[in-house]
Amino acid sequence: MGEVIVITSGKGGVGKTTTTANVGTGLAMLGKKVVLIDTDIGLRNLDVVMGLENRIVYNLVDVVENTCRIKQALIKDKRYENLYLLPSAQTKDKTAVSPEQMKKLADELKEEFDYILMDCPAGIEQGFKNAIAGADRALIVTTPEVSAVRDADRIIGLLEANEIRDNHLIVNRLRTDMVKEGNMLSSDDVVEILAVDLIGVVPDDEQIVIATNTGEPLVGSDSKAGKAYMNICKRVLGEEVPFLDLEETKGFFEKFKAIFKRS
Amino acid sequence: MKNSVVMKGTRSGIILVLDKDLDYDELKLDIAEKFRSSAEFLGHAQKAVMFKGRVLTEEQKLEIVDLIHANCDLNVVCIMEENEIVEGSFRRSMEKTIAERDANTGQFFKGSLRSGQVLDVETSIIIIGDVKPGANVISKGNVIILGSLKGNVYAGADGNENAFVVALDMQPVQIRIANSIARSPDKQPVKKRSKQVQPVKETKIAFLDKGNIYIEPLDKDVMNDIRL
Repeated sequence: MGEVIVITSGKGGVGKTTTTANVGTGLAMLGKKVVLIDTDIGLRNLDVVMGLENRIVYNLVDVVENTCRIKQALIKDKRYENLYLLPSAQTKDKTAVSPEQMKKLADELKEEFDYILMDCPAGIEQGFKNAIAGADRALIVTTPEVSAVRDADRIIGLLEANEIRDNHLIVNRLRTDMVKEGNMLSSDDVVEILAVDLIGVVPDDEQIVIATNTGEPLVGSDSKAGKAYMNICKRVLGEEVPFLDLEETKGFFEKFKAIFKRS
Repeated sequence: MKNSVVMKGTRSGIILVLDKDLDYDELKLDIAEKFRSSAEFLGHAQKAVMFKGRVLTEEQKLEIVDLIHANCDLNVVCIMEENEIVEGSFRRSMEKTIAERDANTGQFFKGSLRSGQVLDVETSIIIIGDVKPGANVISKGNVIILGSLKGNVYAGADGNENAFVVALDMQPVQIRIANSIARSPDKQPVKKRSKQVQPVKETKIAFLDKGNIYIEPLDKDVMNDIRL
């Protein structure tokens, strides 16, 4: 029997879709059977980030409306056999499915998959309600900015009101240099404000932008963000993994270059 | 109220019951009057017409159809014979006529189609503008794009295997023709931007051959194989 995890944030642009793609791919790398569901009807992105856009024939709304079978709509990933994507529809809107239908779909997928990851749209309206309908637990993504943290707090309240209590926090796009200078909230600050358990800290990494544009999640790669995502996956599975030292390890040459850049 | 002309409507056809004794010229006036008064109700529909109650020559039938066209906006697609009275055959024969005609007719669409927009047409379609990623064009005929194609196109949506897609800049996410689907190749991770070769923009055609979709430059050889 599988587990449904919703990835949500409230605020837009904090990295829900990137997180879904990376955590989903990471769990598949660790041998789990995973399906990613894009619940952002009308503004689908997950297929692009996964590099699977050109394979879409049927989508979530077709499944819910019984135009096709679930099997027909699931897209197998390019790299991992046990990773699937259920893309969202682009030509409909959030009202095309109901929370009840999403719960039924999640329950059906639970039979076959170890993990069902719901990529939640921004906002707290119908799309959010659809995404959390069948969820057993939630990963809340936030960036270390007051606006994102404020929205995350609201989301945690809504999740608890909907009986989803197994909530974990991902602090995304953290810049250690700015934290050091006192210009950015640290992950500890965010945890203190939100009072939920931290499951991972992902540094701001330009590799993420490149990975998103090429449609290849960077989880498992040697980059800091890739390692951070892999650690999150292991923690999702219940492993105890120490938090990464995110501080930039600069070699002599880089330090030398940095001096020149500044002057 | 004269009852020399009685109109009976079915879903896709009109049965015209005509007085068999009335003088033909007078009958024509009555028909004209009948259609003029019902013009608003009939609208722009496409219908098949069947004559009953009176034996007409072929010329007279055509003359009456002209009369109908002159007096209302109804589009008489074909004339049915009395023995084909069943509604099903009415419709079938009408749809066939429309389909035959539509294969060679088209519509224009001006503007770019953006993500999430769907253009669904019965005929061939000529788009003056771009089709962007996430946009869909569905046509029962051919699709011609005077711009770049970066989204999805479905030509020959009712199974027409001779349908084709032409675009000035062909970079589709997906092309479907009749019952076949072709998807774009997966992006290769590029090392350095500077080494990327910009593909030359060139008019290309996508067509179906033995179940496979091919995309080729629109040159003379390919042009010779196009069947309209």
